Amino acid sequence: MSVEKMKIVGVIGKKNLLSKVLRLVLLNGSVHTINALVRVNSSDFFLPPSEKNIEVLEELPFLKPCSSKKDFTKDEEVVKSLLSLFDIKPQVREEYLGQDYNYDDFMKHLSEIYDRVHSTADEIEEKMRSINKKREYINSLKYLSRFDFDIGQLICIKHLAFRLIKISRENYDKLKKNYENIPAVVLKLAVESKYVIVVSITPVILEEILEKIFRSLNYTLLPLPVEFTGTAVKVIEELDSAIDKEEKVIESLKKSLEDYKVKYIGELKKAYSRLEIEKKIEELKSDMANGDKLFFMFGFVPVSNVAKLKSELEAQFGGDVIILVDDVDKGGSNLHPPTKLSNMKLFKPFEILVKMYGTPAYYEKDPTIFFGLTYMLLFGAMFGDVGQGFILLFAGFILELVLKKGSLGGVLSRIGLSSTVFGFIYGSVFGSEKIIPPLIIRPMANINYILITGVVFGIALILGAYIYNIINSGIEKNVERGLFSRNGAAGLIFYLILLYTVFRVVVTHSSISPAFIYIMISLLLLMVFKQPLANKLIHADKLYQKSPANYYIEEGFGVIETLLSIISNTLSFIRVGAFALNHVGLYIAFATMARMMTTSWGSLSILVLGNIIIISLEGLIVFIQALRLEYYELFTKYFRGDGIEYIPAKIKVLSSTGKRISLFHKKSIFCNIGNIYLYNIINLKWGS
Amino acid sequence: MDKVIIYAAVNTKIRALEKDFLKREDYLNMIQKKSVVGVARYLKDNTSYGKLLREINIDNISRRDLEDILKNNMIKNMDKLIYYFRDDYKELIRSLYIKYEIEDLKILSRSIFNGKDLETIEKPLSFLGKYSRVDPKILFKSKTNRDLIYSLKGSEFYEFLIPLVNGKKENRFRFEMALDMGYFSIIQSRKLKISREDRKILKKWEGLLADLYNIQWVYRGKKFYSLSPEELLNYTINFGDKLTFKKRKAMCYTKNLEELYKMITNTIYGFLFKKEEMSRDIYMERRINRFMYYKLKALDRQFSLSIIQTIDFVWSFEFEIRDIISILEAIRYDIPSEEARKFLVKVA
Repeated sequence: MSVEKMKIVGVIGKKNLLSKVLRLVLLNGSVHTINALVRVNSSDFFLPPSEKNIEVLEELPFLKPCSSKKDFTKDEEVVKSLLSLFDIKPQVREEYLGQDYNYDDFMKHLSEIYDRVHSTADEIEEKMRSINKKREYINSLKYLSRFDFDIGQLICIKHLAFRLIKISRENYDKLKKNYENIPAVVLKLAVESKYVIVVSITPVILEEILEKIFRSLNYTLLPLPVEFTGTAVKVIEELDSAIDKEEKVIESLKKSLEDYKVKYIGELKKAYSRLEIEKKIEELKSDMANGDKLFFMFGFVPVSNVAKLKSELEAQFGGDVIILVDDVDKGGSNLHPPTKLSNMKLFKPFEILVKMYGTPAYYEKDPTIFFGLTYMLLFGAMFGDVGQGFILLFAGFILELVLKKGSLGGVLSRIGLSSTVFGFIYGSVFGSEKIIPPLIIRPMANINYILITGVVFGIALILGAYIYNIINSGIEKNVERGLFSRNGAAGLIFYLILLYTVFRVVVTHSSISPAFIYIMISLLLLMVFKQPLANKLIHADKLYQKSPANYYIEEGFGVIETLLSIISNTLSFIRVGAFALNHVGLYIAFATMARMMTTSWGSLSILVLGNIIIISLEGLIVFIQALRLEYYELFTKYFRGDGIEYIPAKIKVLSSTGKRISLFHKKSIFCNIGNIYLYNIINLKWGS
Repeated sequence: MDKVIIYAAVNTKIRALEKDFLKREDYLNMIQKKSVVGVARYLKDNTSYGKLLREINIDNISRRDLEDILKNNMIKNMDKLIYYFRDDYKELIRSLYIKYEIEDLKILSRSIFNGKDLETIEKPLSFLGKYSRVDPKILFKSKTNRDLIYSLKGSEFYEFLIPLVNGKKENRFRFEMALDMGYFSIIQSRKLKISREDRKILKKWEGLLADLYNIQWVYRGKKFYSLSPEELLNYTINFGDKLTFKKRKAMCYTKNLEELYKMITNTIYGFLFKKEEMSRDIYMERRINRFMYYKLKALDRQFSLSIIQTIDFVWSFEFEIRDIISILEAIRYDIPSEEARKFLVKVA
């Protein structure tokens, strides 16, 4: 079984230890947390009434969800401004988290540092603001620079109001068309993308009316300096030199901060890591429960990690926390254990393709090995070529090792390998069949043989799927699905008899024995009455889950569907042979074109182009077709995929040197959406 | 692209969704109810909203909750439709959200202005962020309208609002006007790659809207705000179907309301001012909505495979929710059912 066994680990301790325990849990990274209240209320939760546990037992009936939410906005602000002030890269590093510390004390210390550098920082900010203001003035003055008069005078006229404004083109249009009614002289100075820059001069007594009108045009006032005299060009020069001076002051202020940096660099570097993990801790707390003095935490932990977690907890907290390790109870608990798949390296990448359909349930048999094996065979059979397979293999390695796209690269390299192997079987190198002899068969020379082999191979796979379903139903103790359903034992026997009958009629030309007909009909009847029969066998209270009328209508049609799907599922595998032929056919087309070229360079380039098209286009089609066979002909028979994915609470850290930080989130929604999307594409385009 | 390719699928989907719209008798039945819960129960038991309300305990449902559920349902359906479109059409459909988001932004700004606790706003504000893509949580954090404007940074609304921050006076009236003007400026200035026919339809449709809103604006501005003609004109929407700039200007410079009525009565928009004085103020909004409702239906028939089916669907959806809310409000203010009927858009 390649679904890893889980245990439920519970940690109970004094409330003031909660943050530290959670920090340890996050760094350990193997706990899939569950709601503590649900766990405590589940029927299989048991705490032995020993002296050590007495306090816990007292609090059990009064548990509340952990509700207090910490607000990190202020901490974030402090950390962010300190980091930017001292130019420190935000990174989460393990060495800062493993230490024993109290977050609140640490933050207090940090804000003390912040307060100390604060005044200098403020001064810098003040200067920056002043520079920005001057830059704004310069910007506005530029519009006036072509006029050769004293700006100061113009701004300070006593009875006339002068202003420089910016309005949208649309609104300028309105202003222009209604100019006769505007109580001001208005002059267009410049047009800048969507906006028009305008000056207006109006008597002071009319200014209020003008203000209203401009306001209705949604104007922006461009600021002009009042304390300067001279032409615009001259004022701009003065402002520029003032800015230079201020910039120098800022430089020297920043230098004085350097000293702080040297002194506190250690603390500052820790800040980001500690803040980030604290935020994760707060997030985790929603799953915790609080008693009067104690906290309760529960989570699923893979069996292989339990010992490590336990020893870590014991090492840090000793007797201060109670650690409970329980087996996952099969029946009573209402908690569904998450599924952690662990497969051999050869099959591991295929987990992603299985999860695209659905995560296997904890008690379900993990189909990854069966899937991986058959998927490789299907792909190889349809796309058998030594050269092209090798390119896929190579591309897969590049993805996996260089670009770090593990699962996709892994899948690609494995199917590439399979393609190469089948290439030797078919004797095909880059489409050409002249280079090496086939080990077994040339598809084009044996069309019927190839097609029939495809179907026979399919039959084998379908039989495998039946067996898988029966095993899964056995684990689940689902009599209806395992024995009587069309994918269960009844269906399997029906399918085998049907195959035998067809074989007799087609190959040996003998007649059908009536006994088989009777058996098949009775098997169909079994399938129709599967629910009442199963419920009778397990002595359930009700024979039917829904109304019997509905049930029989549904099952009546179910018979037709059974017959149809048996035929279509089986024949569907003809495509394995067909694509093997198609692969050769496509190459023949390019080879013919290459022969028509007059130069050898021309024909070579056609062949290269042809191979590129075959690898990318046909490779993709075969990839999807093989996936479709797996999903529709096989998974529908035995795989439900309604499990919960194992997503442990953890924080990704850089150990020494690294590139980026990323925090894990509990649900990867985008992944699901992507899956559904691809699933639909396959469904729409390649549905049988 | 051929219009069959663009519209065949989405129009089929719309036809299917339209089956779920409430029937005439549903409105008439709901209007007889005495409480919010009564209406909710009716929706749950007798209409397609049953699916939506199945999981919800309606025994003490509030008006706001119900409104939120209805609006989120509308959003869900609109989002669904977006998937049927490609490229610029996606943008176009998304821009149908502008109107609703602006409505919600106005309510939010009003609540901030009045110093209300944002938790207790009577309206659910479900559309915040749908067009601007700003996280509503950030918007809700604003303590002043200035904060609100800054938190819209990065959205298309920002450029219309930023002049308010620099101005001497920042008030709610300007905030709302800036958003309204922004709305029409956005839909007018966008350059979408859509078919010529759709462009024509949109021009017609948006022009009609602009005309109606302009008339309503000039009327209200004159009657309630006593603004100067220049301001009135500056606040008008700068395009229209039947009303040219000249006509709009003439409307703004009429000496009194009588003159304005006379001017409008001669256009196809005369229906706005029919009947006695009182009804003009109260029912103008509804008259505009009903006019648009029927106009959409007419355009829908005229251009069978076009953008108008989607617009019609969205607006009809809006009217349906608006009507349900009107009914709920009528219950709250104890308006007799005969009176309440006069506020409904879809049922006369």
